[in-house]
Amino acid sequence: MSQFPLVCSFEGDYGLKVLFVSRDATMAEVARTAAEALAGVVVPELGANEVLRVRQAGAKNFLRPELTLQEAGFIEMETIEILRQPAATAVNGARAS
Amino acid sequence: MPLLKTEEWYDIARDTNWTPRYVTEQQLFPPELTDRFGVPLAAMEGFDEPYKVTYREYVRTQREKDMGAYSVKAALARSKLYENADPGWRALLQLHFGAASFLEYNSISAFARMTRFSRAPGMRNMATFGSLDETRHSQIHLYFAYEHLIRSRSFDWAHKAPRSNNWVIISERHTFDDIEHTRDAVSAAIMTNFAFETAFTNLQFVALSADAANYGDFSFSTMLQTIQSDEARHAQIGEPLLRILIDSGFKAEAQKLVDISFWRCWKQFSALSGICMDYYTPLENREYSFKEFMHEWVIDQFMTKIFDIGLEKPWYWDLFLEDIDVFHHAQHIGVYLYRATEWWHPVAATGPAEREWLETKYPGWGVTFGKVWDVIAQNVASGRHERTQPSCLPMLCNMHGFELTGVPGAKWNVKDYTLDRAGRRYHFQSSVDKWIFEQEPERYAGHLSLIDRVVQGVVSLDKVFDYMHMAPEERGTDGQQYRWTQEPRGGSAGDPLGRRRSAG
Repeated sequence: MSQFPLVCSFEGDYGLKVLFVSRDATMAEVARTAAEALAGVVVPELGANEVLRVRQAGAKNFLRPELTLQEAGFIEMETIEILRQPAATAVNGARAS
Repeated sequence: MPLLKTEEWYDIARDTNWTPRYVTEQQLFPPELTDRFGVPLAAMEGFDEPYKVTYREYVRTQREKDMGAYSVKAALARSKLYENADPGWRALLQLHFGAASFLEYNSISAFARMTRFSRAPGMRNMATFGSLDETRHSQIHLYFAYEHLIRSRSFDWAHKAPRSNNWVIISERHTFDDIEHTRDAVSAAIMTNFAFETAFTNLQFVALSADAANYGDFSFSTMLQTIQSDEARHAQIGEPLLRILIDSGFKAEAQKLVDISFWRCWKQFSALSGICMDYYTPLENREYSFKEFMHEWVIDQFMTKIFDIGLEKPWYWDLFLEDIDVFHHAQHIGVYLYRATEWWHPVAATGPAEREWLETKYPGWGVTFGKVWDVIAQNVASGRHERTQPSCLPMLCNMHGFELTGVPGAKWNVKDYTLDRAGRRYHFQSSVDKWIFEQEPERYAGHLSLIDRVVQGVVSLDKVFDYMHMAPEERGTDGQQYRWTQEPRGGSAGDPLGRRRSAG
């Protein structure tokens, strides 16, 4: 498969989803792809003062938005968590849209 | 001619063991098909079934059961129950017949293997009746399902399901192939006749039958009752077998078989029966909540049996009790959202009165599962129907095969238990699902869920409906045609004769 499959846990959602993103995608692009598929579908739309941050499942720290999948060392079907964060406190946060 | 009483000849007549001379005992009863533990023959010959049934008695009883069920069906044939039924009840019937009929059919061969490979004569006798029972269950399921075929193509799945690659069917096959069809006769009997039939068939055939009678679907209710009377007899195979295993020093092995099978069956029944009881059954016809049924019909009875036999409750019991409150609610959301991938037409069943009932039965439902339904309802109410079907795929658990879910909303808690093996990452919903995999990885490692098949390129995304054998007209739609946010549920809830208006 030319695209890269990720297992995504989006804050507030009832279950995990599979996202297909480009192999050189950044965390910001991954978050944007997830938000387009899930915000306003299973969880509320993103608020004006909210940004999305990505981290590996079970990790405490968020990954930098400009970090690519390769740089993060992700394998196919890596599980990630995408959380809403207040824009003011989220350094380099990625807007979902 | 004076007849002997049954108890005067039964034990001798069914003592059909002999000493083989042309082949060895091991060739006649290969351990991988008979008994992988090596229980001594003398112990197996001590198998004493609680129900002692002669063939003559069996045939007479079964004939009476069939006459009762088919007579009720014939009497109600012109009632137009299905045409006038609540959309939720229609969904329940569509789901049940597609999901259950092939399991009955497959169980014929599961019992036949016990008949051939068990070394206990009494067990062979009981398993022979079991095969005949499952034949009857298959026939009655297909006959009753096909009554509705002229009204809905969904009922074709009663016959078609096992030859499809539908994701729900894959999940069922994975579970029941594991416990019924790919183990030695002793293991299969414990997993099927004890863990499955003692614990869970009550749920589908007694509890659901009660809901059906409350709803007024006496044809369906009677069909379920006649099946359950056989399931209760099957359950009796497991108990003496478990006692033999424990007495022969295989308590830990027996416990593990029960623990694996109980959890696997729990996931199937929670997803399928749980949704039917707490959502598809019209509110005014619900006898109890799924959780209440679980406590009365599964937990209390199962625990009594377990302790009576000398086993312990499964090690994951606390996790199981927590799961009763959440799993089927999450699955119901996914079943509704991904409805196009199912052969039935799901209803949301989350209007104001239903939400109130759910909150009463499951405190906290509103701030968790209800939050997802808020978003879906807003989209429905605004006419954004395309937003009620996610554009991305759901992740499926590599053990139970349903969506990998957790708790949404304010108490968001969705965990992924992963395991890396031979270059592949496996994903499990719970520590129990992962534990089952770890007990025998080579048994499970090669299986691919539908999502795995897409990710690995076995099937391309644009061909996935063809791969699942789902023609466009077979794909599920909103059973209430999106009217559930505007008005109370349509159809004839509480009135099977359709004296109220039909939802169409």
